[in-house]
Amino acid sequence: MSTSLLPSFRGLASRLLSRPFAFTSTLALTQQCRALSTTSSTQAPPGAQTKAEKKEREKKKKGRGEQQRDPKIINMLKHFAVLSPRRIPPPLRMGRNRYLRHWTIHRAWMLWLRKQREERERNWMRQWQSMYAACEELRLTSGPGTREEGYLYRVAMEKKGVYGLNPIPIEYARPQVETPPKQAWNHDWKR
Amino acid sequence: MRSDEWSVHWDLLIQNWKAVGAQSSPQSSDPLMDLTPSKGSQLLCSQCARSSRTIPRLPLSSANTAWRYYASEATNPSPSEPSSSTTTPPPPPVTSNLPKSPNPYRIKSGVILSRPPILTRDPTPFESAFYLYQKRLNERLTAPFRREFYYKPDSAADLDFRIKLKERHGVPAKDIGRYNPRGRMAWNDEVMIGSTTSSWEYMYERLLKDAEVRVSEDGEPIPEEERVPVERPMPRRTEADEKNDVRRLDRALDKTLYLVVKKGEGENAVWGFPEGPVLTEEALHETAARVLAESAGINMNTWIVGRVPIAHHVIKPEFEPADANGEQRLVKRGEKIFFLKGRIMAGQADLTDNKHGLTDFQWLTRDELRKVLPYEYWWSVRNSFDLR
Repeated sequence: MSTSLLPSFRGLASRLLSRPFAFTSTLALTQQCRALSTTSSTQAPPGAQTKAEKKEREKKKKGRGEQQRDPKIINMLKHFAVLSPRRIPPPLRMGRNRYLRHWTIHRAWMLWLRKQREERERNWMRQWQSMYAACEELRLTSGPGTREEGYLYRVAMEKKGVYGLNPIPIEYARPQVETPPKQAWNHDWKR
Repeated sequence: MRSDEWSVHWDLLIQNWKAVGAQSSPQSSDPLMDLTPSKGSQLLCSQCARSSRTIPRLPLSSANTAWRYYASEATNPSPSEPSSSTTTPPPPPVTSNLPKSPNPYRIKSGVILSRPPILTRDPTPFESAFYLYQKRLNERLTAPFRREFYYKPDSAADLDFRIKLKERHGVPAKDIGRYNPRGRMAWNDEVMIGSTTSSWEYMYERLLKDAEVRVSEDGEPIPEEERVPVERPMPRRTEADEKNDVRRLDRALDKTLYLVVKKGEGENAVWGFPEGPVLTEEALHETAARVLAESAGINMNTWIVGRVPIAHHVIKPEFEPADANGEQRLVKRGEKIFFLKGRIMAGQADLTDNKHGLTDFQWLTRDELRKVLPYEYWWSVRNSFDLR
């Protein structure tokens, strides 16, 4: 036998040579087939052969190089590698003039926000003052009919139903959107 | 030397203090405090009368009258002056002469019925430019987009995305224009002056174009003439906008619309909000709801927000000049109109068979109201409107 043959083949060959062919039974066949996949089965007795096989299997399970991984897992691992802090781009680095421009843009934006906020608050103040003036006028008003002064004001200040189950109709909860629906307004609504 | 000066100064201070305290409250032993509000006073509300509040007097202020506390005013009412003048403001001089005449004012309740804006407002050029700027900065700061993670390799969706990515010159984001944060030109993240990249029209077009399906289910690219365009969103300016149909409610969708009605015919016609007199057994909000239903029909889904009026308008009564006895006769009653806030959610105004003599209606924005309403009327209600 040449030395270039694999050890298993060597074992197979030696066994085929050493044992008569007529000796084959089902048991013997299985042993032979097992022997195909083991390396040093020639010298070992049949009982010791199975032990060696088990060890071999355990080795294969533990070994990483031969194990096939699910490509989905590989994909996810790659993704997490991209998302790792080492791969995330660094904080913004800008040149001097670029940074000054950035600062200007930022200040302009803050100014714009402030302008909007103050406009909103001014509007709230206007509306509140309008309500206040109306309520004051109502407080100093007698009537309707024979009612005494301030009757309408007291009724207006009642909070009946404000904290009830249906204080605000649900149709009123309509957020503003960028483009209108196909039917922008339901003109044919009937009671 | 210095200590002498200080002691003299201190003595003077104490003398002044005692003198002022004796002046302010001669009956109380403690010159600093005056804490005797008479309980159960007629001029206080019941809650204030029950609680005894401590009012520190300023010892050196000679003008006790300049600091008017409600409670202190109530404790020492001078017997000469009438008690009603302290809490209730003086009645109008005209009506005080006529104590038994009918109420010179007719009380009315109106409703400012508004349709809230349906659309957000247009972004200003500065806002859209700033949003684009921030999106590009965000591209510089985030991890690269991995197509393999989101698309199954060589599936139709993957092929579709690859085609679109190539057309976008490799930029994964759809609405930031041509900018690669990881290339040699990563620094070049600002657009030039006059660029339309930041406008929302450009972004709409890009997003709509990007939403087209470019690859068939078999993975074959669809030629240009067979591509199905995506359904476009409705335009922000509607047909009623183009025609300037002021009676439609699908107009000026990014602004608030207010209902105004025309009363009378011809030259005497006056525009105003729906309003009507308050009955004796009614409150303002009930009148407002009733008047709205009577004048503009019931086929509107409305909601009267609260019971508190948001604006008021007063028309002064007219009197004849005073006669020999100093009495004036009422010629024309004045009006006090209180407006409540109403919102409309659906439906349309309908003036047929209205009980208030109305001939026309319009849904107008705030700026248009200004041109239509009488000047004093507008001036009274102008503060109750919203910004847009």
